[in-house]
Amino acid sequence: MAKTETILELQHVYKYFDDFTALDDINFTLDQGKFYSFLGPSGSGKTTILRTVSGLILADKGKVLFDGQDITNLPAEKRKVNTVFQNYALFPHLNVFDNVAFGLRLKKMAKSEIDDRVVAVLKVIQMDGYENRMISELSGGQQQRVAIARAIVNEPRLLLLDESLSALDQKLRQQMQYELRSLQQRLGITFLFVTHDQEEALAMSDEILVMNDGKIQQSGTPVDIYDEPINHFVANFIGASNIVPGVMVRDYEVAFVGKTFECADAGMRPNEKVEVVLRPEDIDVTTPEQGKLVVHVDSQLFRGDHFEINSHDEDGNQWLIYATNSIEDKDKVGLSFTPNALHVMRFNEDEADFDARLSQYEEGDNAD
Amino acid sequence: MTEKKHWLGRVYLVFAFALLYLPIFYLIFYSFSTGKSMSNFKGFTFSHYQTLFSDSRLIVIVLDTLIVAVLSSLVATIIGTMGALGIYRVQNKHWRNLILSLNNILMVSPDVIIGASFLILFTALGVTLGFGSVLVSHIAFSIPIVVLLVLPRLREMDATMIDAARDLGANGWQILSQVILPFILPSVFSGYFMAFTYSLDDFAVTFFVTGNGFATLSVEIYSRARQGINLEINALSALMFIFSIVLIVGYYFINHYTQSRRNKRQRGGAYLK
Amino acid sequence: MKKVTTLTKTNRLPYFSLYFLWIGLFVIAPVALIVYQSFFGIDHSLTLSNYRTYLSSSVYLRMTFNSFWFAFLITVLTLAISYPTAYFLTKLEHRQLWILLIILPTWINLLLKAYAFIGIFSQSGSVNNFLTFIGVGPQQLLFTNTSFILVAAYIQIPFMILPIYNSLVDIDPAIINASHDLGANNFQTLWRVIFPMSINGVRSGVQAVFIPSLSLFMITRLIGGNKVITLGTAIEEHFMTTMNWGMGSTIGVVLIIIMFITMALTAGGRKGKAKS
Repeated sequence: MAKTETILELQHVYKYFDDFTALDDINFTLDQGKFYSFLGPSGSGKTTILRTVSGLILADKGKVLFDGQDITNLPAEKRKVNTVFQNYALFPHLNVFDNVAFGLRLKKMAKSEIDDRVVAVLKVIQMDGYENRMISELSGGQQQRVAIARAIVNEPRLLLLDESLSALDQKLRQQMQYELRSLQQRLGITFLFVTHDQEEALAMSDEILVMNDGKIQQSGTPVDIYDEPINHFVANFIGASNIVPGVMVRDYEVAFVGKTFECADAGMRPNEKVEVVLRPEDIDVTTPEQGKLVVHVDSQLFRGDHFEINSHDEDGNQWLIYATNSIEDKDKVGLSFTPNALHVMRFNEDEADFDARLSQYEEGDNAD
Repeated sequence: MTEKKHWLGRVYLVFAFALLYLPIFYLIFYSFSTGKSMSNFKGFTFSHYQTLFSDSRLIVIVLDTLIVAVLSSLVATIIGTMGALGIYRVQNKHWRNLILSLNNILMVSPDVIIGASFLILFTALGVTLGFGSVLVSHIAFSIPIVVLLVLPRLREMDATMIDAARDLGANGWQILSQVILPFILPSVFSGYFMAFTYSLDDFAVTFFVTGNGFATLSVEIYSRARQGINLEINALSALMFIFSIVLIVGYYFINHYTQSRRNKRQRGGAYLK
Repeated sequence: MKKVTTLTKTNRLPYFSLYFLWIGLFVIAPVALIVYQSFFGIDHSLTLSNYRTYLSSSVYLRMTFNSFWFAFLITVLTLAISYPTAYFLTKLEHRQLWILLIILPTWINLLLKAYAFIGIFSQSGSVNNFLTFIGVGPQQLLFTNTSFILVAAYIQIPFMILPIYNSLVDIDPAIINASHDLGANNFQTLWRVIFPMSINGVRSGVQAVFIPSLSLFMITRLIGGNKVITLGTAIEEHFMTTMNWGMGSTIGVVLIIIMFITMALTAGGRKGKAKS
């Protein structure tokens, strides 16, 4: 991989609101030209990170480095970062052109250059011809585009997007996901997108940073995070999961519901208590005789592209299954899954240890 | 609602509106009477209007009244808007409620109390009663209504707009002049209009603080009315009625303009849902 | 989490300087001064005699009681006329226009409206003409307590209609449909659903009418005859005629106390507001 340039770095950043710790030792670096998402539930601190980066709030402790320069205490109006706000925050008393030109005019740019740049950026977001419309005359999707234009016309090297699609309806949101992704790739600037919608983050990002309780829980590519969540929170928050308590018998062998199964995880202490994750789409329904596990079906719902089946095993664990066919005999059903479908999580493992363990036994796998 | 009830309601409303408007029209009607009292309409004449326009004392008073109204509402609008901007920034709920309570004291106080207490104040400060004391009093009792009209508009403002302006590089003054003021301008205009009519309408406070040399229209009408009926006053009220209609149409034009813009915003917002 | 306003405290000061000067000079100082003044006798000595006089004089106590009684009658009369008006107004089309017509008379100078009644109630005025016509014969109408009550009520009607109308308009029509659906007839719906839901408007209206009714002095002077029958007239008399500011301030303090009591009694409306 080509060496990439770091654009933003946060070092040990803390932020407190009265007694509440909103950011708790935040560390990360962002590379030039990539699409990042901060994903977490509301109150997890993701918007606070965004505002610390934009300068609308200042960190209480730690450092914010932009392009290698310390901007920790630089106010928002002096930072070369722009934001697309959650509800767009467009100026209702100005028309589309004046909204987009707002930042350029504050920079005392020549009128002809402002005209050129605004016209150019409106073309990029396919809003040319709307220059004289008032904001109130635009649809939600159009307002979204103007908000993006107003930010990118200033040619920031880092664009912050705060829950920017959450106000749009489902269909428009999916369309904008494609557009945002392609816009980012065309412009080549770094996008830092904040969302609570895991599908959105999975679909658009080069890298996802999962937040909870003011801490970054896990960061990585969408595939890594989905397949190998670090802990219960991440597994639960991203996608649907079945999480059951288990014991790591030895490397590549995990026991739960009274049985031992082959798995793909290693590097833990023998007989360590763990949690086992099994995604509902990775489970196949078979006969009780062929199944690795036997469950009793409680309910099933037809979801269009699959059947959603709720069931429980003899230990009382709930099992969610996405099946292609409906189940006739609800009393006893067998479940089967591959060793790779099982993901084992240790309790209280931090990201550094998790990464180290993974790389260790993955190298081991390669050596075999 | 049944037809019968509808009919009853209509009749009642006719009665209510007649009650509200008959005295006013009665007043205007007799301004055209050749008689000397408000009874037995004898013949049609404009003579009371002619007397009115040649009454130089009254014309000076009308001009004084307008000057006081224009100036006091202007100053009250500036101070009130600044007060609203200040209150908007107060995060502490208790402080904000305290300031708002103090703000509203003059709104709910009876006019006599305001007048009497201002009279004591001016006397204590050694201020000569006259144009100055009336002007200052009008500014003082108009400020709270401006605050009460501007503050809700500020609260309606999307606060992230201010963040957006900072994000785009605006400093404090640029945020105020280019984002906040344009947004609250309609409510500032409403505040000015209300302050203006408060000033025009006031009698009791002015009566207390005006002294001997200076009079506003209300005070003048009072002293003339105490001497009995004078159809010149009827002519004056007809003109003031027309003036009021012009004012109220102006006020509602501005209000409607704001309202329709607001509605448009909401309609725009409906797409977001 | 959303700490939106990041402007610092020092930014508030320039906004507040003039406004706080106003609060200090024209809100706090006048109230303090009127209380202070109430402890001064006519000979400018510090004394409690004003309060003693007020509380022991049957003239002052009867006047206070009368003022209360008149204000009560004015409020009841105004409410009786205004509530049905507000209710029927909500049934109309083009309500904005009709409400505008309710507001319009409030923009006409108070003095002129009072003046109109000097003509209407005079010996040869239209009311007496009507009374003569129906055979009752002319009556002394002007300069009576009744005429004072009628004119005061007339002037206050719009201030009662508006808050009631606003609270009635805010009622979700679905609630009225629900009431009918549950078997309530029109009257039951009005009494058990609509009226309780508009009580906040009634409260604001009562507050807007009762307090001024205690203190309107120009109407008592012009219409009620030259008698001192309300607290407002008494204050005006002491400040402008007998120049006994101490006693005038004492009555002023009484009026302020009554004002606060009235506001406390009618303040229930605020809670309802907070919910919406």
